[in-house]
Formats: sequence, C-alpha cells, structure tokens
Amino acid sequence: MLEQILAASIVLTTPILLAAMGGLVNRQSGIVNIGLEAKILAGALVAVIVSSATGSWLLASLAALAVGAVIGWLFALTITRGNANMIVAGLGLNVLVAGAIGFILSWQYGTSGTLRLPDVALLPHVLPAAVAEIPVLGRMLAALDPLTVLAWASVAALPFVLADTRFGLRLRATGNAPQVARALGLDARRIQEATTAIAGGFSGLAGAHLALTSIGLFNEGLSGGRGFIALAAFYFGRDRPWPTAMVCLMFGFLDATQIRLQTAGLPPKLIGMIPYAMVLAALILASVRNKKRKAA
Amino acid sequence: MADIRFAAMLASLRALLVPFAVALILAGIVLIVIGENPLAIFGLLAEESFGSARRIASTLSSATPLLFTAVATAICFRAGVFNVGVEGAFLVGGLAAVFVAFALPAGLGITLIPLALVAAMAAGAIWLWFPGWLLARFEVDEVVSTLMLNFIAAAITGYLVNGPLLSASAGNNMTPAIHDAAHLPRLMPPSTLHAGFLIGIAVMVLYGLWCRYTPAGVEGGLVGLNRRFARAMGISVSGTMITVMCLSGAIAGLGGASHGLGQLFRFSDAFSPGYGFTGMAVALLGRNHPVGMIVGAVLFGALASAGTTIQLFSSVPLDLVDIIQGLVMIFAVMELALPRLRRRRHA
Repeated sequence: MLEQILAASIVLTTPILLAAMGGLVNRQSGIVNIGLEAKILAGALVAVIVSSATGSWLLASLAALAVGAVIGWLFALTITRGNANMIVAGLGLNVLVAGAIGFILSWQYGTSGTLRLPDVALLPHVLPAAVAEIPVLGRMLAALDPLTVLAWASVAALPFVLADTRFGLRLRATGNAPQVARALGLDARRIQEATTAIAGGFSGLAGAHLALTSIGLFNEGLSGGRGFIALAAFYFGRDRPWPTAMVCLMFGFLDATQIRLQTAGLPPKLIGMIPYAMVLAALILASVRNKKRKAA
Repeated sequence: MADIRFAAMLASLRALLVPFAVALILAGIVLIVIGENPLAIFGLLAEESFGSARRIASTLSSATPLLFTAVATAICFRAGVFNVGVEGAFLVGGLAAVFVAFALPAGLGITLIPLALVAAMAAGAIWLWFPGWLLARFEVDEVVSTLMLNFIAAAITGYLVNGPLLSASAGNNMTPAIHDAAHLPRLMPPSTLHAGFLIGIAVMVLYGLWCRYTPAGVEGGLVGLNRRFARAMGISVSGTMITVMCLSGAIAGLGGASHGLGQLFRFSDAFSPGYGFTGMAVALLGRNHPVGMIVGAVLFGALASAGTTIQLFSSVPLDLVDIIQGLVMIFAVMELALPRLRRRRHA
C-alpha cells in the first residue's frame, strides 16, 4: 500500500509542481500570477488535441508549452504595457480562457465539458518496467514519466538559475529591488513578460501532464483548482524552489491519500480545503513575524 | 461647476462603455471567425434582453445578485482595500439566510425574512471581518487572504450541504427548501424578478449616500486616495479598513440572502456561478459609482439572461458570454490607449 501511495503522490505532484515552479519565477520578478489555472486548462486541451492528431506525446507537450507561453505573454502585456491590475486581469483571464475552451469544444467538436479523441498517445514511462521489482521505491520509479523528471530537474536547477545566472539575477532585481533594476538600465517590462511566458509554458506542461498521464481525455474540470494550489505552494514556500517543491509534494500526497481519508470518514470537501487553509496560516505567521521584527 | 460635473460624468460614461465596446468588438471577431454575423447575434442578444417587459424583467432578475456583489466590492476598492473575497461572503451569507429560513419554525411567518436577512449580513460581516482585522493588525496581504477564504467558504458550505444540512428528500448537494412564508415576493410573475432587486437598488442608493454624506464614507474615500494623508488628518486607517471589510461582507451576505430567499429557495453546491467575480467586473466598469454600477450590473444581467436563449436560436455556444465577461474584466483595468493619448497631448 505504501508503494502505491508513493507512486500516486509523485504522479499527482507533478502538475502542481510544474505550475508552482513557473509561478515562483514569475513572482520573483514581481508578478503574482492568478491566471495559472487558465493556462493549465488550455495546455491540457491542446495536449489532447495534438496527441490525438500526431500520436506523439512529445509534440503534444511542446504544443501545450507553446500555448501556455503565448497566453502568458499576452497576459503579461496587459499588465506591463496596459498597466492592468494583475489580480483582476488574472481572474479575468481565468474566466476568458474557460469561456474560450467551452466555446471551442461546442463549436468545433460539438460536445460540452468533455472531449474524447481517438488514439491519444499517453506519456511513456522513463524507466524499464523491471524497476518495479525494487522494494518500496520500485513502483514510484516505474511510474516516472518525462514531465515528472523535467519538473524535478527544474526544482534542482532553479536555485542555481536564480542565484548565479545573469537572467536569474536580473529577474530577481526586477521583482525585489525595482530601483536597482532601473539603475542598472534593465527593461523591467521585458523581463516580466519573459517570466510570465515561462510561467505560462510551465502551466501548459502541467496541463499536458494532467491530460496525458492516465486518462487521455480533456475535461473542463480537469485542472480542479491546481493553479491556485500551485499559488498556495509558492506562497507557502516563500518563492524558494526546494521548500515550494516540498509543499507541492505534500499537496500531491494529500491528493493521493484523499480517497483513503474519505473511507476513513473525513469528508472530501474539507480535505480539499487544507491547501488554502495552510496558505492562510502561513500568511498570518509570516506577517506576525514581520510585524514583530519591525517592532523590535 | 455644472460643466465640471458634466465632464466628469462623460469621463465615467466612457470608462464604462469603452471596455464593454472593446470586448464586444473582440467577441464580434470571434463570431466572424466561426462564420456568424456578429450584428445579427448582438441584435438577437439585445432583443432577447430588452425586447419586451418580460425579457427586461428577466434581465433585471439576472442583474440582482450583481447589484450586491458590485457594491460589496466597490466599498472596499474605493478605500484602497483589495478585497476579492465577496464571492465567499455571498456563499456564507446565502447559506446562513437559507438555514434560518428552513430551520426555524414556519409559524414565524414573514418575520422569517428579516431574521434571515440579518443572519446573512452578520455571517458575511464576520466572514470578511477576519481578513480585514488581519490586514489592519498584521498587514496580512488581503488579496491572498480573501482569495483563499473564497475556497474555504466554498469547501465549508459544500461540506455542510452534502452532510449535516443535506435535504432528506432532494437527493444530494442541497439543503431542504425554505418555508413558503420566507419567499421574497415576486414583482412581475411569471418572471423570477423578486423583491431582492429593490433591496439591491436601495443598497446602491444607501452606498451612494454613505460615500458622500457620512464621516465614515468620506474617510473611506480619503484612505483610498492617499493613506498617508488620511493618517495625517487623524483618520484611523486600520479602523476604516476593518469597517469597509465588515460592510462589504454584510452587503455580500445580504446578496446571498436575496438570492436564496428570492431565486433559488434553497442552498446548493451551485449556489453562485461566480457572482462575486462578475460583481468585481461591474464595480470596475462602474468605477465604484452607483449609477455606473447599476448600468454595469444590467449589462451583465442582460448577457447572462440572453446568453441562454442565444444558444437556442443560433449555433453560437453560450460560452460566448464568459468570453465577453473575461474580456471586460481585463479591459476594465487596462489603461486603454485612448485616454492615454489625450493626456500626453495635454502635457
């Protein structure tokens, strides 16, 4: 049973983790991205369509990445060039994209809510099936797919990218010390547009993972608030890659054990509340601590 | 003086109509792409939402919840408090009102209505007092706290209507129906337009008077314009924040009560299809002004009520309404090129 839970946790963590890593980079550059949900959903739809048309999970993932990045970039323009409030624009984007997806489904495919297409290629497993024989970790290793590997690779790479590369330093300056960025002559708007596109691309991949892991179909409720849970994760992890990843893992574990918790008598609605309540708690703790430090 | 006021009115009218017009143009392009005639579709929309007394009533009925959620949003936005938690307070207030209206003895008759309204306002006010207090006391970012509280409100109410408050007869996801005596009267049967609409208009008017003629209302506006200046004038900024959050919650809760007692007569999982967020779009469109918000609420009400018929009479999917709403929200907060060009010419 432990093996099963481990494997399920890892798989269920991936979409949250991908979106959270993108959102984290975005927030480090000064943009709180409320529209991750929209890009996850768009990525999932595109992944299903492309996977069915080409039979290639790779092309499907790339298409999801591209669509997410383009939506993210357009979204960034409303903020950087149009001076839109990022929260309202993000909420508006979620409504707009959900509407656009519903529109496309009924106009192009004549369905509402769910899209089933033939021959959808699912994500392959990275390691040979034989690894499942390894005790405890075997099942988890066998379940690894390319996007999961990519997600964790990005967790490992991000601390370095943010701390030691030119791009990382510049984007952090843009978000944390705008006056420094200006003094350096950095174009803050370009940098924010780039990071929002990155957040969109990662969210698109998150959508591809949701759609192509086991079910191979698209549903309007597929993202299930994961964009907001990712937001919760990087708020809770204070925009640091490893702590954020650990929070994502915890949410993935929660997701994987949900069915078991339900049979143990916990109502599912209340389990679903936990990530949001945690963010609230973390937010309060952080602010209280800040306040005390200021007072001291 | 009259000139200035006229110019200001013109400016706010433009602020209201430009985002809506841009959104309609983009939606029109979408319609052309799928091979529909946008003018015909928009004509049908206008016809279906304003073409007869019955249709106007149905439009106003759809606009009713938005009147409340728009004021609830505006009262905070104008004080510079970025409350996005109206949706949650609407749910909490709606459930509180419905609970009072089915759980108390039916013998109370129409006194059930004021009891339910007060319960809803109290529940909503307490719900948003919490993030308001956190903001005033500990500077907890109100955007994230209220956003999270929306999910928590949806989870708690969802749990209650699937568990402890589940109706024994109606299957799942809903409470028992409220007592007949607690129904808000219908204004124009057979349409669903109910007395909640009048309450909503009254709330709008009171909000306008509050902003202009009460110390708390004026202080709220000053805090929104310039926090430091307000503090220097001796206004309690944290007190104002808590006040506007509580008022926002009470109004949103009242909106939930109106929806529960006037429209649905029970609380279910699908109680609000996002009235809190649409209300935010309305508040932004109307620039927190009562008249602007009434116009905005009616426009969105028209979209919602005509959207269903549009699907019956043409091949255009209902989701077009969501597309327009999302675009309006985005364009309402963007500085569109038009006003910016003008300012530059003046400089």
